[in-house]
Amino acid sequence: MSGTLAVYQKEVSVYFRSPIAYFVVAVFLLGTGYFFLYNIFLTGDATMAETFQNMGVLLLTLIPVVSMRLFSAEYTAGTMELLLSLPLAPWQIVLGKYLGAVTMLLLMTAGTLIDLVPLYLFGNPETTTIVAGYIGFVLLGMACLAVGQLFSALTQNQIVAALITAAVLLGFWFVGHLQSFQTSYALRSLCGYLSFALHFADFIQGLVRTEAVMFYLVVGAMALTLNASYLQWRR
Amino acid sequence: MSASTAAIVLESVSKRYGSKTIIHDLSFSVATGEIVGFLGPNGAGKTTTMRMIAGVTAATAGRVTVAGYDMATQNTDAARQIGYLPEHPPLYDTLDVSAYLRFVARVKGVDRSAIPAELERVTAACRLEAVVRREVYKLSRGYRQRLGLAQALLGKPDVLLLDEPTAGLDPGQIQETREIIRAFGEDHAVLLSTHILAEATLICRRVAIINHGRLLAIDSPSGLEQAMEQTNRVTLQVTAPAQALREELLSVDGVSGLEIHPFPGDHDVLSVECQVDARDGIEAAIARAVASRWDLHRLDRQRPTLENIFLRYVKEAPVRGETA
Repeated sequence: MSGTLAVYQKEVSVYFRSPIAYFVVAVFLLGTGYFFLYNIFLTGDATMAETFQNMGVLLLTLIPVVSMRLFSAEYTAGTMELLLSLPLAPWQIVLGKYLGAVTMLLLMTAGTLIDLVPLYLFGNPETTTIVAGYIGFVLLGMACLAVGQLFSALTQNQIVAALITAAVLLGFWFVGHLQSFQTSYALRSLCGYLSFALHFADFIQGLVRTEAVMFYLVVGAMALTLNASYLQWRR
Repeated sequence: MSASTAAIVLESVSKRYGSKTIIHDLSFSVATGEIVGFLGPNGAGKTTTMRMIAGVTAATAGRVTVAGYDMATQNTDAARQIGYLPEHPPLYDTLDVSAYLRFVARVKGVDRSAIPAELERVTAACRLEAVVRREVYKLSRGYRQRLGLAQALLGKPDVLLLDEPTAGLDPGQIQETREIIRAFGEDHAVLLSTHILAEATLICRRVAIINHGRLLAIDSPSGLEQAMEQTNRVTLQVTAPAQALREELLSVDGVSGLEIHPFPGDHDVLSVECQVDARDGIEAAIARAVASRWDLHRLDRQRPTLENIFLRYVKEAPVRGETA
């Protein structure tokens, strides 16, 4: 476990010693703040529902920027050679890096808590709905990061990794819209089940359903397992 | 050398990428307290072999053992015993020197309380004290190379794998690095890949020559010289008629062939290169035969250098079955 922890701490150090982390956090918080104010003034309701929806889409565009360097940068810098020669199992490398990226996600999420101050000062929002929304947002982000990390491991080019990640995440986000075009019940159900957006909608409405929680966790776990298996296969 | 005392053992190791075989049935070992030079032209398979020993990539066939651990099944245990400096130092540019070394030390399992002393030891050994707080991207090439070596030394590994460790260093740094390797090699196993043949002669107890993924020879530099004694040459400068000189020299027992050229700048003098056998006293026999009839100005016996040996092996080795 100490190996995983060392990789995790290195990842966090590398994030915050490069401009990427500050850029991503700044863009995300500016975007979230804008959507929050826009939704509050538009609807006049003390709710985060619309803002969570916007945060989800914003997250999909920023996750590839966070995840693209996780392995691609190691390949191009030659440091993957070091990681593979150190007493680290592939899953330790994968987990350490993933936790580092999740720390970034949590910091981004924590930054949005400031939006709640005016919400509670001037309104009477439903705390449980907001908590459920945040749980869903973090779970969505964790699943997206795992997918992004997997694609970063598959290519040495960070831009390619980011573009593939963005395409796949957008696919998962919008796949729910295909439901209405399907005549087959099975296909309709599958499109709905695979939709990141539909599961996230449950959380936004205040529902923490086991199915939705498991969906994000399973997607994340599958991507991480594939990631570790790929490293092992590559070796 | 018995395999039981060897810290690195390769037994019939092969490596394939797709249909291309990069390493063919490679077997050799490196004992504790021994520095083995790993020589070969570019693309010979040196780096691939080093990567297999370091656990970066797995052998397709055969067995690699490091410090008694099988790299196929006990990779993580073996990795604790290995210090590896790849061809390009694997550095995180955004970290500072201290943070980078602390990361490697932690992954190598150095006890948290022992890390400061361990960092002090390797930074002193690699003369990095002046840059400990500096970000890696600000380091000169020489410092980067030494930082790569420092991370390899962390945790006092049993085995050190060094791929071109003196590349990019100035002469003073090269000397210092060789001293570090030599000192480490006294009680550890070191496999040193290098293009600098003088370096192999200076610090390696044995030299392995590889080309096209095959081991061509492995012996001490002097052992390789003895094996190549058949290629000894005697050169002489003499004032004599060419045809008579040729007949006289070929009549000397042990002279197998010769080439005669006019000596540059003095057409009365001939420059002769004789191929001779390994026996002692051959040059005295040639000197007697020539000096009794003509003016012998100079006579030298040239023993093969590691360069000659290397080039001979590399040029003569057949290119067999690069693709399997």
